[in-house]
Amino acid sequence: MITEKSTVLQVQSKYAFEIASGANKPMIKEAVEKAFKVKVTGVNVVTMPSKMRRVGRRHVLTRPWKKAIVTLQPGDKIEFFEGV
Amino acid sequence: MKVTKEKEENRQAYITVEMEPAEMETSLQDAYRHLAQKADIPGFRKGKAPREVVEHHLGKPRLLEEALDRMLPQAYEQALKEQEIEPFAQPDMEITQTDPLIFKAVVPLTPAVELGDYASIRVTPEPVDITDENINSVIEELRHQHATWEPVDRPLDYDDLAIIDINGMVEEKPYVQKVGAQIQVLKDLMSPAPGFSDQIVGMKKEEEKEFTLSFPEDYPNDKVAGKEGHFKVKLSEIKEEKLPELNDELAGQVSPDFKTIDALREEVVKSLQARGEERVRMDFEEKVINTAIEQSRVEYPPVLVELEINRILNEQVRQLQMSGRGMDEYLQSINKTTEQLREELRPVATKNVSASLVMSKVAEAEKIEVTESDIENGIKNMTRGSAEDKMEELRKLLDTPQTRESLKQSLRTRKTIERLTEIARKTEDTKKETKTKKKKKEEEK
Repeated sequence: MITEKSTVLQVQSKYAFEIASGANKPMIKEAVEKAFKVKVTGVNVVTMPSKMRRVGRRHVLTRPWKKAIVTLQPGDKIEFFEGV
Repeated sequence: MKVTKEKEENRQAYITVEMEPAEMETSLQDAYRHLAQKADIPGFRKGKAPREVVEHHLGKPRLLEEALDRMLPQAYEQALKEQEIEPFAQPDMEITQTDPLIFKAVVPLTPAVELGDYASIRVTPEPVDITDENINSVIEELRHQHATWEPVDRPLDYDDLAIIDINGMVEEKPYVQKVGAQIQVLKDLMSPAPGFSDQIVGMKKEEEKEFTLSFPEDYPNDKVAGKEGHFKVKLSEIKEEKLPELNDELAGQVSPDFKTIDALREEVVKSLQARGEERVRMDFEEKVINTAIEQSRVEYPPVLVELEINRILNEQVRQLQMSGRGMDEYLQSINKTTEQLREELRPVATKNVSASLVMSKVAEAEKIEVTESDIENGIKNMTRGSAEDKMEELRKLLDTPQTRESLKQSLRTRKTIERLTEIARKTEDTKKETKTKKKKKEEEK
Protein backbone atom coordinates (compact mmCIF):
# COMPACT_ATOMS: atom_id res chain seq x y z
CA MET A 1 0.00 0.00 0.00
CA ILE A 2 1.49 3.31 -0.95
CA THR A 3 0.09 6.48 0.47
CA GLU A 4 1.46 9.75 1.58
CA LYS A 5 1.68 8.56 5.13
CA SER A 6 3.25 5.23 4.19
CA THR A 7 5.98 6.84 2.14
CA VAL A 8 6.95 8.93 5.12
CA LEU A 9 7.14 5.77 7.23
CA GLN A 10 9.35 4.01 4.72
CA VAL A 11 12.29 6.03 6.00
CA GLN A 12 11.93 4.21 9.29
CA SER A 13 11.78 0.86 7.49
CA LYS A 14 8.07 0.59 8.10
CA TYR A 15 5.77 -0.67 5.40
CA ALA A 16 2.03 -0.67 5.23
CA PHE A 17 -0.11 -3.54 3.90
CA GLU A 18 -3.74 -4.12 3.46
CA ILE A 19 -4.43 -7.48 5.01
CA ALA A 20 -7.16 -10.06 5.25
CA SER A 21 -9.52 -9.35 8.13
CA GLY A 22 -8.87 -12.74 9.70
CA ALA A 23 -5.11 -12.32 9.81
CA ASN A 24 -3.26 -11.86 13.10
CA LYS A 25 0.20 -10.51 13.90
CA PRO A 26 2.18 -13.76 13.77
CA MET A 27 0.57 -14.63 10.45
CA ILE A 28 1.51 -11.27 8.98
CA LYS A 29 5.05 -11.53 10.24
CA GLU A 30 5.50 -14.91 8.68
CA ALA A 31 3.90 -13.90 5.41
CA VAL A 32 6.00 -10.76 4.99
CA GLU A 33 9.22 -12.51 5.90
CA LYS A 34 8.51 -15.26 3.41
CA ALA A 35 7.30 -13.08 0.57
CA PHE A 36 10.00 -10.42 0.67
CA LYS A 37 12.78 -12.33 2.44
CA VAL A 38 13.29 -9.76 5.18
CA LYS A 39 13.35 -9.84 8.97
CA VAL A 40 10.31 -8.36 10.63
CA THR A 41 10.81 -6.86 14.08
CA GLY A 42 7.36 -5.59 14.79
CA VAL A 43 3.83 -5.63 13.47
CA ASN A 44 1.11 -3.14 14.27
CA VAL A 45 -2.40 -3.81 13.09
CA VAL A 46 -5.09 -1.21 12.65
CA THR A 47 -8.68 -1.95 11.92
CA MET A 48 -10.02 0.67 9.64
CA PRO A 49 -13.62 1.43 10.54
CA SER A 50 -16.41 1.23 8.05
CA LYS A 51 -17.70 4.58 6.88
CA MET A 52 -20.97 5.94 5.66
CA ARG A 53 -21.01 6.46 1.95
CA ARG A 54 -23.84 7.50 -0.26
CA VAL A 55 -24.81 5.24 -3.08
CA GLY A 56 -27.37 7.05 -5.07
CA ARG A 57 -30.07 8.02 -2.58
CA ARG A 58 -29.17 5.43 0.05
CA HIS A 59 -26.53 5.54 2.76
CA VAL A 60 -24.36 2.46 2.80
CA LEU A 61 -21.61 1.28 5.08
CA THR A 62 -18.26 0.57 3.44
CA ARG A 63 -16.65 -2.68 4.37
CA PRO A 64 -14.28 -2.42 7.34
CA TRP A 65 -10.73 -3.51 6.61
CA LYS A 66 -7.46 -4.14 8.31
CA LYS A 67 -4.11 -2.58 7.75
CA ALA A 68 -0.76 -3.70 9.10
CA ILE A 69 2.30 -1.56 9.63
CA VAL A 70 5.29 -3.84 9.56
CA THR A 71 8.62 -2.73 10.99
CA LEU A 72 11.67 -4.36 9.49
CA GLN A 73 15.07 -4.96 10.96
CA PRO A 74 17.13 -1.81 10.42
CA GLY A 75 18.78 -1.95 7.00
CA ASP A 76 16.26 -4.28 5.44
CA LYS A 77 14.25 -3.06 2.52
CA ILE A 78 11.35 -4.26 0.50
CA GLU A 79 12.45 -3.72 -3.07
CA PHE A 80 8.91 -3.99 -4.31
CA PHE A 81 8.13 -0.60 -2.82
CA GLU A 82 11.23 1.16 -4.03
CA GLY A 83 10.67 3.69 -6.74
CA VAL A 84 7.06 2.75 -7.10
CA MET B 1 25.23 24.03 -22.13
CA LYS B 2 27.25 23.81 -25.27
CA VAL B 3 26.19 25.75 -28.31
CA THR B 4 27.75 25.27 -31.70
CA LYS B 5 26.89 27.15 -34.79
CA GLU B 6 27.35 24.89 -37.77
CA LYS B 7 26.75 27.18 -40.65
CA GLU B 8 24.73 30.03 -41.95
CA GLU B 9 23.15 30.00 -45.35
CA ASN B 10 20.03 31.39 -47.00
CA ARG B 11 19.72 33.73 -44.07
CA GLN B 12 19.32 30.78 -41.76
CA ALA B 13 21.57 29.87 -38.91
CA TYR B 14 22.02 26.22 -38.03
CA ILE B 15 22.83 25.73 -34.41
CA THR B 16 23.23 22.69 -32.22
CA VAL B 17 22.70 22.90 -28.50
CA GLU B 18 23.88 20.24 -26.06
CA MET B 19 22.66 20.27 -22.50
CA GLU B 20 24.69 19.07 -19.51
CA PRO B 21 23.21 16.27 -17.37
CA ALA B 22 23.09 18.60 -14.37
CA GLU B 23 20.96 21.04 -16.29
CA MET B 24 18.75 18.16 -17.30
CA GLU B 25 18.33 17.23 -13.66
CA THR B 26 17.23 20.69 -12.57
CA SER B 27 14.66 20.93 -15.29
CA LEU B 28 13.42 17.42 -14.57
CA GLN B 29 13.01 18.46 -10.96
CA ASP B 30 11.10 21.51 -12.15
CA ALA B 31 8.92 19.39 -14.34
CA TYR B 32 8.22 17.00 -11.48
CA ARG B 33 7.13 19.81 -9.22
CA HIS B 34 4.86 21.16 -11.88
CA LEU B 35 3.34 17.81 -12.77
CA ALA B 36 2.91 16.73 -9.16
CA GLN B 37 0.72 19.77 -8.58
CA LYS B 38 -1.75 18.44 -11.08
CA ALA B 39 -1.31 14.69 -10.93
CA ASP B 40 -4.09 12.79 -9.25
CA ILE B 41 -2.39 9.85 -7.57
CA PRO B 42 -4.42 7.63 -5.24
CA GLY B 43 -3.15 7.75 -1.70
CA PHE B 44 -1.67 11.22 -2.07
CA ARG B 45 -2.94 14.73 -1.90
CA LYS B 46 -2.11 16.80 -4.96
CA GLY B 47 1.46 17.98 -5.00
CA LYS B 48 2.45 15.72 -2.11
CA ALA B 49 3.55 12.60 -3.93
CA PRO B 50 7.29 12.02 -3.95
CA ARG B 51 9.14 12.09 -7.23
CA GLU B 52 9.59 8.32 -7.52
CA VAL B 53 5.89 7.79 -7.16
CA VAL B 54 5.04 10.46 -9.72
CA GLU B 55 7.61 9.07 -12.12
CA HIS B 56 6.19 5.60 -11.78
CA HIS B 57 2.63 6.72 -12.03
CA LEU B 58 2.94 9.00 -15.07
CA GLY B 59 5.88 7.34 -16.70
CA LYS B 60 9.32 8.73 -17.19
CA PRO B 61 8.72 9.83 -20.82
CA ARG B 62 5.90 12.07 -19.66
CA LEU B 63 8.20 13.74 -17.16
CA LEU B 64 10.89 14.13 -19.75
CA GLU B 65 8.46 15.62 -22.20
CA GLU B 66 7.32 18.15 -19.65
CA ALA B 67 10.91 18.98 -18.85
CA LEU B 68 11.73 19.48 -22.53
CA ASP B 69 8.75 21.73 -23.05
CA ARG B 70 10.07 24.05 -20.40
CA MET B 71 13.72 23.68 -21.17
CA LEU B 72 13.65 24.04 -24.92
CA PRO B 73 12.53 27.66 -25.20
CA GLN B 74 14.85 28.66 -22.39
CA ALA B 75 17.83 26.87 -23.84
CA TYR B 76 17.04 28.24 -27.27
CA GLU B 77 16.87 31.77 -25.97
CA GLN B 78 20.12 31.38 -24.13
CA ALA B 79 21.83 29.81 -27.12
CA LEU B 80 20.80 32.73 -29.29
CA LYS B 81 22.17 35.16 -26.77
CA GLU B 82 25.41 33.26 -26.61
CA GLN B 83 25.79 33.20 -30.37
CA GLU B 84 24.45 36.71 -30.78
CA ILE B 85 21.85 35.64 -33.27
CA GLU B 86 18.83 37.81 -33.90
CA PRO B 87 15.95 35.55 -34.84
CA PHE B 88 13.45 36.82 -37.36
CA ALA B 89 10.75 34.19 -37.05
CA GLN B 90 9.99 30.97 -35.25
CA PRO B 91 12.84 28.47 -35.56
CA ASP B 92 12.61 24.96 -36.84
CA MET B 93 13.74 22.69 -34.04
CA GLU B 94 14.69 19.08 -34.11
CA ILE B 95 15.50 17.05 -31.05
CA THR B 96 18.19 14.52 -31.77
CA GLN B 97 18.65 13.15 -28.29
CA THR B 98 16.62 13.53 -25.16
CA ASP B 99 18.73 12.51 -22.19
CA PRO B 100 20.79 14.62 -21.97
CA LEU B 101 19.08 16.85 -24.45
CA ILE B 102 20.68 17.70 -27.76
CA PHE B 103 18.72 19.66 -30.28
CA LYS B 104 19.27 21.36 -33.56
CA ALA B 105 17.59 24.57 -34.47
CA VAL B 106 17.34 26.31 -37.79
CA VAL B 107 16.88 29.95 -37.02
CA PRO B 108 15.55 32.27 -39.68
CA LEU B 109 17.45 35.52 -39.71
CA THR B 110 16.37 38.94 -40.75
CA PRO B 111 16.18 39.07 -44.53
CA ALA B 112 18.98 40.92 -46.21
CA VAL B 113 17.90 43.30 -48.89
CA GLU B 114 20.33 45.14 -51.05
CA LEU B 115 18.54 47.66 -53.11
CA GLY B 116 19.54 48.29 -56.63
CA ASP B 117 19.70 51.74 -58.03
CA TYR B 118 15.97 52.13 -57.83
CA ALA B 119 16.24 55.85 -58.43
CA SER B 120 17.32 55.10 -61.94
CA ILE B 121 14.30 53.03 -62.88
CA ARG B 122 12.72 54.52 -65.93
CA VAL B 123 9.47 53.24 -67.18
CA THR B 124 7.18 55.13 -69.45
CA PRO B 125 3.56 54.57 -68.72
CA GLU B 126 1.70 53.40 -71.75
CA PRO B 127 -0.81 55.90 -73.00
CA VAL B 128 -4.44 55.10 -72.68
CA ASP B 129 -5.93 54.74 -76.06
CA ILE B 130 -9.55 54.30 -76.70
CA THR B 131 -10.54 53.57 -80.23
CA ASP B 132 -13.90 54.16 -81.78
CA GLU B 133 -14.03 50.43 -82.11
CA ASN B 134 -13.99 49.99 -78.34
CA ILE B 135 -16.71 52.54 -77.87
CA ASN B 136 -18.85 51.04 -80.57
CA SER B 137 -18.55 47.56 -79.19
CA VAL B 138 -19.70 48.78 -75.78
CA ILE B 139 -22.65 50.54 -77.32
CA GLU B 140 -23.42 47.50 -79.43
CA GLU B 141 -23.51 45.45 -76.29
CA LEU B 142 -25.91 47.91 -74.74
CA ARG B 143 -28.12 47.54 -77.77
CA HIS B 144 -28.14 43.78 -77.38
CA GLN B 145 -29.03 44.14 -73.74
CA HIS B 146 -32.02 46.24 -74.59
CA ALA B 147 -33.06 44.31 -77.67
CA THR B 148 -36.58 43.06 -78.09
CA TRP B 149 -37.57 39.72 -79.51
CA GLU B 150 -40.21 39.74 -82.17
CA PRO B 151 -41.91 36.78 -83.80
CA VAL B 152 -41.07 36.30 -87.48
CA ASP B 153 -42.42 34.04 -90.13
CA ARG B 154 -39.42 32.48 -91.81
CA PRO B 155 -37.19 29.44 -91.34
CA LEU B 156 -35.09 29.40 -88.17
CA ASP B 157 -31.70 31.01 -88.50
CA TYR B 158 -28.70 31.33 -86.24
CA ASP B 159 -28.97 33.85 -83.38
CA ASP B 160 -32.75 33.60 -83.45
CA LEU B 161 -34.72 32.71 -80.39
CA ALA B 162 -36.46 29.40 -80.82
CA ILE B 163 -39.41 28.35 -78.72
CA ILE B 164 -39.22 24.64 -78.94
CA ASP B 165 -40.30 21.36 -77.36
CA ILE B 166 -37.39 19.03 -76.86
CA ASN B 167 -37.50 15.35 -76.02
CA GLY B 168 -34.02 13.89 -75.82
CA MET B 169 -33.12 10.30 -74.99
CA VAL B 170 -29.69 8.91 -74.29
CA GLU B 171 -29.48 5.13 -74.41
CA GLU B 172 -33.23 4.73 -73.84
CA LYS B 173 -33.11 6.97 -70.81
CA PRO B 174 -34.68 10.41 -70.83
CA TYR B 175 -32.04 13.12 -71.04
CA VAL B 176 -33.95 16.36 -71.59
CA GLN B 177 -37.65 16.90 -71.67
CA LYS B 178 -38.74 20.45 -72.14
CA VAL B 179 -41.91 22.00 -73.45
CA GLY B 180 -41.79 25.54 -74.76
CA ALA B 181 -38.10 25.96 -74.01
CA GLN B 182 -36.58 29.23 -75.15
CA ILE B 183 -33.26 28.70 -76.80
CA GLN B 184 -31.10 31.28 -78.42
CA VAL B 185 -29.69 29.45 -81.38
CA LEU B 186 -26.03 30.33 -81.04
CA LYS B 187 -23.64 28.70 -83.45
CA ASP B 188 -21.50 27.00 -80.83
CA LEU B 189 -24.30 25.97 -78.52
CA MET B 190 -23.17 23.13 -76.25
CA SER B 191 -26.45 22.39 -74.54
CA PRO B 192 -28.44 20.17 -74.80
CA ALA B 193 -25.86 18.72 -77.19
CA PRO B 194 -23.11 20.02 -79.44
CA GLY B 195 -24.38 20.43 -82.97
CA PHE B 196 -27.93 20.90 -81.77
CA SER B 197 -28.15 24.33 -83.36
CA ASP B 198 -27.00 23.07 -86.74
CA GLN B 199 -29.81 20.50 -86.71
CA ILE B 200 -32.65 22.84 -85.93
CA VAL B 201 -31.58 25.72 -88.14
CA GLY B 202 -33.75 25.88 -91.21
CA MET B 203 -36.79 24.42 -89.51
CA LYS B 204 -40.08 26.14 -90.04
CA LYS B 205 -42.78 26.99 -87.56
CA GLU B 206 -44.73 23.96 -86.30
CA GLU B 207 -42.24 21.65 -88.00
CA GLU B 208 -41.17 18.47 -86.23
CA LYS B 209 -37.84 16.74 -86.58
CA GLU B 210 -35.94 13.78 -85.24
CA PHE B 211 -32.19 13.47 -85.25
CA THR B 212 -29.29 11.81 -83.49
CA LEU B 213 -26.24 13.56 -82.12
CA SER B 214 -23.18 12.13 -80.45
CA PHE B 215 -21.64 13.65 -77.36
CA PRO B 216 -17.87 14.04 -77.41
CA GLU B 217 -15.75 12.21 -74.85
CA ASP B 218 -14.91 15.41 -73.02
CA TYR B 219 -18.49 16.60 -72.67
CA PRO B 220 -18.92 18.20 -69.21
CA ASN B 221 -21.82 15.93 -68.31
CA ASP B 222 -20.19 12.56 -67.50
CA LYS B 223 -23.43 10.63 -67.83
CA VAL B 224 -23.71 11.22 -71.54
CA ALA B 225 -20.12 11.89 -72.60
CA GLY B 226 -19.12 9.67 -75.50
CA LYS B 227 -22.68 8.45 -76.03
CA GLU B 228 -25.34 9.11 -78.60
CA GLY B 229 -28.45 11.14 -77.99
CA HIS B 230 -31.67 10.85 -79.91
CA PHE B 231 -33.71 14.03 -80.09
CA LYS B 232 -37.29 14.75 -81.08
CA VAL B 233 -38.08 18.41 -81.43
CA LYS B 234 -41.07 20.50 -82.34
CA LEU B 235 -40.56 24.13 -83.19
CA SER B 236 -43.45 26.33 -82.15
CA GLU B 237 -42.21 29.86 -82.61
CA ILE B 238 -39.32 31.78 -84.10
CA LYS B 239 -38.32 35.14 -82.76
CA GLU B 240 -35.77 37.52 -84.15
CA GLU B 241 -33.66 39.94 -82.23
CA LYS B 242 -34.65 43.51 -82.98
CA LEU B 243 -31.88 45.83 -81.93
CA PRO B 244 -33.07 49.19 -80.80
CA GLU B 245 -32.15 52.18 -82.90
CA LEU B 246 -29.22 54.22 -81.75
CA ASN B 247 -31.21 57.17 -80.60
CA ASP B 248 -32.05 59.17 -77.53
CA GLU B 249 -34.69 56.65 -76.58
CA LEU B 250 -32.10 53.93 -76.15
CA ALA B 251 -30.04 56.30 -74.05
CA GLY B 252 -33.03 56.84 -71.80
CA GLN B 253 -33.54 53.09 -71.51
CA VAL B 254 -30.00 52.52 -70.40
CA SER B 255 -30.36 55.05 -67.67
CA PRO B 256 -32.82 57.87 -67.14
CA ASP B 257 -29.87 60.19 -66.58
CA PHE B 258 -28.97 60.18 -70.24
CA LYS B 259 -31.17 62.47 -72.22
CA THR B 260 -29.44 62.02 -75.54
CA ILE B 261 -27.41 59.40 -77.28
CA ASP B 262 -24.46 61.74 -77.22
CA ALA B 263 -24.58 61.87 -73.44
CA LEU B 264 -24.57 58.08 -73.40
CA ARG B 265 -21.63 57.96 -75.72
CA GLU B 266 -19.76 60.45 -73.61
CA GLU B 267 -20.38 58.37 -70.53
CA VAL B 268 -19.14 55.25 -72.28
CA VAL B 269 -15.98 57.05 -73.31
CA LYS B 270 -15.51 58.32 -69.78
CA SER B 271 -15.86 54.91 -68.17
CA LEU B 272 -13.63 53.32 -70.78
CA GLN B 273 -11.06 56.00 -70.16
CA ALA B 274 -11.20 55.49 -66.42
CA ARG B 275 -10.94 51.76 -66.77
CA GLY B 276 -8.08 52.08 -69.21
CA GLU B 277 -6.23 54.50 -66.97
CA GLU B 278 -6.65 52.22 -64.01
CA ARG B 279 -5.29 49.31 -65.99
CA VAL B 280 -2.38 51.30 -67.31
CA ARG B 281 -1.61 52.55 -63.85
CA MET B 282 -1.57 49.03 -62.45
CA ASP B 283 0.56 47.76 -65.31
CA PHE B 284 2.91 50.62 -64.82
CA GLU B 285 3.19 50.10 -61.09
CA GLU B 286 3.77 46.44 -61.54
CA LYS B 287 6.49 47.08 -64.05
CA VAL B 288 8.22 49.53 -61.77
CA ILE B 289 8.02 47.18 -58.83
CA ASN B 290 9.27 44.29 -60.90
CA THR B 291 12.24 46.26 -62.06
CA ALA B 292 12.96 47.32 -58.52
CA ILE B 293 12.89 43.71 -57.44
CA GLU B 294 15.08 42.61 -60.29
CA GLN B 295 17.63 45.22 -59.40
CA SER B 296 17.75 44.26 -55.78
CA ARG B 297 19.46 41.35 -54.24
CA VAL B 298 17.14 39.78 -51.73
CA GLU B 299 18.09 36.99 -49.42
CA TYR B 300 15.61 35.61 -46.94
CA PRO B 301 14.93 32.44 -45.03
CA PRO B 302 12.59 30.03 -46.86
CA VAL B 303 10.17 30.12 -43.93
CA LEU B 304 8.95 33.46 -45.20
CA VAL B 305 7.65 31.88 -48.36
CA GLU B 306 5.88 29.19 -46.34
CA LEU B 307 4.31 31.85 -44.16
CA GLU B 308 3.15 33.75 -47.21
CA ILE B 309 1.65 30.60 -48.68
CA ASN B 310 -0.17 30.05 -45.42
CA ARG B 311 -1.47 33.57 -45.55
CA ILE B 312 -2.77 33.18 -49.10
CA LEU B 313 -4.37 29.87 -48.26
CA ASN B 314 -6.04 31.33 -45.21
CA GLU B 315 -7.40 34.12 -47.31
CA GLN B 316 -8.79 31.62 -49.78
CA VAL B 317 -10.37 29.61 -47.02
CA ARG B 318 -12.00 32.75 -45.69
CA GLN B 319 -13.34 33.64 -49.09
CA LEU B 320 -14.61 30.13 -49.60
CA GLN B 321 -16.35 30.21 -46.27
CA MET B 322 -18.08 33.39 -47.29
CA SER B 323 -19.43 31.65 -50.33
CA GLY B 324 -20.50 28.82 -48.08
CA ARG B 325 -18.04 26.21 -49.18
CA GLY B 326 -15.33 24.48 -47.28
CA MET B 327 -11.72 24.11 -48.27
CA ASP B 328 -12.03 20.36 -48.70
CA GLU B 329 -14.89 20.74 -51.09
CA TYR B 330 -12.99 23.32 -53.08
CA LEU B 331 -9.92 21.14 -53.27
CA GLN B 332 -12.05 18.34 -54.55
CA SER B 333 -13.66 20.52 -57.16
CA ILE B 334 -10.28 21.52 -58.57
CA ASN B 335 -9.04 18.01 -58.03
CA LYS B 336 -5.94 18.90 -56.07
CA THR B 337 -4.41 18.14 -52.73
CA THR B 338 -3.34 20.82 -50.32
CA GLU B 339 0.28 20.06 -51.13
CA GLN B 340 -0.29 20.59 -54.84
CA LEU B 341 -2.07 23.84 -54.17
CA ARG B 342 0.77 24.97 -51.96
CA GLU B 343 3.28 24.12 -54.65
CA GLU B 344 1.26 26.13 -57.13
CA LEU B 345 1.16 29.10 -54.85
CA ARG B 346 4.88 28.99 -54.26
CA PRO B 347 5.96 31.22 -57.17
CA VAL B 348 3.36 33.82 -56.29
CA ALA B 349 4.32 33.71 -52.66
CA THR B 350 8.00 34.00 -53.50
CA LYS B 351 7.30 37.06 -55.54
CA ASN B 352 5.12 38.59 -52.86
CA VAL B 353 7.81 38.09 -50.29
CA SER B 354 10.51 39.71 -52.33
CA ALA B 355 8.19 42.53 -53.32
CA SER B 356 7.25 43.33 -49.77
CA LEU B 357 10.87 43.10 -48.63
CA VAL B 358 12.06 45.40 -51.37
CA MET B 359 9.19 47.78 -50.75
CA SER B 360 9.88 48.08 -47.07
CA LYS B 361 13.53 48.63 -47.78
CA VAL B 362 12.72 51.35 -50.25
CA ALA B 363 10.38 52.90 -47.72
CA GLU B 364 13.24 52.91 -45.30
CA ALA B 365 15.64 54.40 -47.76
CA GLU B 366 13.19 57.05 -48.87
CA LYS B 367 12.20 57.78 -45.27
CA ILE B 368 8.57 57.26 -46.00
CA GLU B 369 6.52 57.76 -42.89
CA VAL B 370 2.89 57.24 -42.21
CA THR B 371 1.53 59.88 -39.91
CA GLU B 372 -1.32 59.59 -37.45
CA SER B 373 -3.46 61.82 -39.61
CA ASP B 374 -2.90 59.52 -42.58
CA ILE B 375 -4.26 56.67 -40.55
CA GLU B 376 -7.20 58.77 -39.40
CA ASN B 377 -7.99 59.50 -43.00
CA GLY B 378 -7.72 55.86 -43.89
CA ILE B 379 -10.20 54.92 -41.22
CA LYS B 380 -12.52 57.66 -42.38
CA ASN B 381 -12.31 56.30 -45.88
CA MET B 382 -13.31 52.90 -44.65
CA THR B 383 -16.40 54.30 -42.95
CA ARG B 384 -17.40 56.25 -45.98
CA GLY B 385 -20.40 54.79 -47.73
CA SER B 386 -22.15 53.76 -44.58
CA ALA B 387 -25.08 55.63 -43.12
CA GLU B 388 -24.43 58.86 -41.28
CA ASP B 389 -25.56 57.63 -37.88
CA LYS B 390 -23.65 54.41 -38.15
CA MET B 391 -20.44 56.12 -39.18
CA GLU B 392 -19.28 56.96 -35.69
CA GLU B 393 -20.10 53.48 -34.48
CA LEU B 394 -18.20 51.88 -37.30
CA ARG B 395 -15.30 54.22 -36.77
CA LYS B 396 -15.04 53.14 -33.16
CA LEU B 397 -15.20 49.54 -34.23
CA LEU B 398 -12.38 49.99 -36.70
CA ASP B 399 -10.22 52.09 -34.47
CA THR B 400 -8.28 49.23 -32.94
CA PRO B 401 -4.52 48.94 -32.70
CA GLN B 402 -4.62 46.01 -35.14
CA THR B 403 -6.50 47.90 -37.81
CA ARG B 404 -4.21 50.83 -37.31
CA GLU B 405 -1.16 48.67 -37.71
CA SER B 406 -2.39 46.94 -40.84
CA LEU B 407 -3.60 50.23 -42.25
CA LYS B 408 -0.23 51.71 -41.55
CA GLN B 409 1.41 48.86 -43.38
CA SER B 410 -0.77 49.16 -46.42
CA LEU B 411 -0.50 52.93 -46.51
CA ARG B 412 3.24 52.65 -46.28
CA THR B 413 3.35 50.26 -49.20
CA ARG B 414 0.99 52.46 -51.14
CA LYS B 415 3.14 55.51 -50.51
CA THR B 416 6.26 53.64 -51.43
CA ILE B 417 4.76 52.51 -54.70
CA GLU B 418 3.70 56.05 -55.40
CA ARG B 419 7.18 57.30 -54.69
CA LEU B 420 8.72 54.68 -56.92
CA THR B 421 6.40 55.39 -59.79
CA GLU B 422 6.97 59.08 -59.33
CA ILE B 423 10.69 58.53 -59.63
CA ALA B 424 10.22 56.33 -62.63
CA ARG B 425 7.97 58.82 -64.34
CA LYS B 426 9.39 62.21 -63.61
CA THR B 427 12.73 61.34 -64.92
CA GLU B 428 11.68 61.15 -68.46
CA ASP B 429 12.81 64.80 -68.67
CA THR B 430 15.93 64.49 -66.59
CA LYS B 431 16.95 61.50 -68.60
CA LYS B 432 16.74 63.50 -71.74
CA GLU B 433 18.73 66.17 -70.02
CA THR B 434 21.48 63.82 -69.03
CA LYS B 435 21.52 62.44 -72.48
CA THR B 436 21.84 65.83 -74.02
CA LYS B 437 24.51 66.66 -71.49
CA LYS B 438 26.35 63.54 -72.41
CA LYS B 439 26.09 64.40 -76.03
CA LYS B 440 27.40 67.82 -75.34
CA LYS B 441 30.29 66.38 -73.48
CA GLU B 442 31.03 64.03 -76.27
CA GLU B 443 30.89 66.86 -78.69
CA GLU B 444 33.25 68.85 -76.53
CA LYS B 445 35.64 65.99 -76.60
